[in-house]
Amino acid sequence: MDNFLSSIYRNINLTAFIREQNDQFKPCSAMPDWLIFFLARQSNAGSYNLAEAFPYLSCFMEDAEQHWQAKQSEPLSSGIWIEIDELQHELPLEASVMWLDGQEVLLLQQLGEKYTQDLSRLQQVRNSLLTQEMLESEVQRRTLEIRKREEEIAIKLVSLTSLRDEETGEHVRRIGLYAAVMAKALGWSLEEIDTIRVAAPMHDIGKIGIPDRILCKSGVLNDEEFHVMKKHTEIGASMLRGTKITVLNMAADIALNHHERWDGTGYPSGLVGEKIPVSARITTIVDIYDALVHERVYKKAMSEEDALSLMQEMAGRHLDPHLLRIFLSLLPAMRRIRLEVKENSEKINKEEAVEEVCA
Amino acid sequence: MLQKKICLLGAFSVGKTSLIQRYVNKLFSEKYLTTVGVKIDKKQITVGKTELNLMVWDIAGEDDFTNIRSAHLRGLSGYIVVIDGTRQNSFNVALALHERIKTELGEVAAVFALNKCDLKEQWVINREHIRTLAQLGYPVIETSAKLDQGVEEMFMVLARQLVPKKPEA
Repeated sequence: MDNFLSSIYRNINLTAFIREQNDQFKPCSAMPDWLIFFLARQSNAGSYNLAEAFPYLSCFMEDAEQHWQAKQSEPLSSGIWIEIDELQHELPLEASVMWLDGQEVLLLQQLGEKYTQDLSRLQQVRNSLLTQEMLESEVQRRTLEIRKREEEIAIKLVSLTSLRDEETGEHVRRIGLYAAVMAKALGWSLEEIDTIRVAAPMHDIGKIGIPDRILCKSGVLNDEEFHVMKKHTEIGASMLRGTKITVLNMAADIALNHHERWDGTGYPSGLVGEKIPVSARITTIVDIYDALVHERVYKKAMSEEDALSLMQEMAGRHLDPHLLRIFLSLLPAMRRIRLEVKENSEKINKEEAVEEVCA
Repeated sequence: MLQKKICLLGAFSVGKTSLIQRYVNKLFSEKYLTTVGVKIDKKQITVGKTELNLMVWDIAGEDDFTNIRSAHLRGLSGYIVVIDGTRQNSFNVALALHERIKTELGEVAAVFALNKCDLKEQWVINREHIRTLAQLGYPVIETSAKLDQGVEEMFMVLARQLVPKKPEA
């Protein structure tokens, strides 16, 4: 029977040890040649300190101790570790401990071919995962490229209208960036944030359909002219609708609703409160802020303090009060956008601008 | 001589084994061979007047198939979290591992290694990512096991954190 068991141990490259005192382990099966190399430095009457021979086991012994103390008979594995033998070959080893017939047993196995097969399988899986990651990364990179192109096209489209009215390309870019900051603060997904950054600048695209005599009129519009002017919201929406492109759908919502007011007195539909799409409510706030603090041919720039004071008066009537509070909490970010995306006409240098916005 | 256990951690295929091979054996192989289990290397170094015996634990990369055992972190004096600059996922794994170790062990000496800087034109890790790492308060070092760039420095920066500072006279 002993010979029979010894053959099994030898064939599966396993050595059984019984723990004695002082963390010494006594082999109770024949020791294979590979193990002798690691234990050769210890000659303590046939007992060995395995944690000294295999430093990896030092991190396992605490768990092993608990396992023995609990007299658990099912094996507890140490996990695999690699040792280098006298021929500089890697040896994959694994220890297991158990309580058996009143003895604290440790089994030490050289995993050999089983490890090689597991390794080969894992290598294949990880190679596939790497390829998958690479492809996903490429898709992301290309999606980003497409996004950038969409943004450029949107800005170009909007610049068509700004040739005719007084809005500038910088204004529409800032609107997108402010809106994205708001969206991020509201916890939107990255994709939604990107979408509003591109969509918000298109809010006034419908002005392309307004006659010059009204759009470019320097004085106050009469009722009839104002009625025509108000049509830019619906014109914009009809220009942008009719596709399956997410960004254009959001842009259509914004174009249609950015003159709606929180209290329902806006146009074109007189929507009230949260019936107005949030993308449009955001755009209304950032559009008003940017228009107030920048100079136009028909008006001087307002100080930021005055602009914010005016906007706070609009809260609950014209503007969504909750979103306005969020906007106000994000002012440092909005100011950075103002500094980075300056109007061409702004001749002031950066230091002066910093003083201005921080004043 | 002080003996210190340090670990290299990170997602799979970020180059942990290559960095250790470069540091300990001055070797590099282009071929990716995944690590299963743990391999321990030793390296003796001198930091100032202190001799250190570094026990460098190369722990298999973290993924859906392999989780780092808590037992592997026992007795840890410091760790290097390795990120592959060309892979966003490795950045996310690095942050998660760092958080896990802080939770399990508290404040331990650490370094972030941005590996594969020889492939910088393919990097997806940008200044924003690097700022995020720097804000965690640990050194961030760009490395390349292939070009032997930043490798020695990375281990030395960690080792310096492991040597007890002498009280000023």
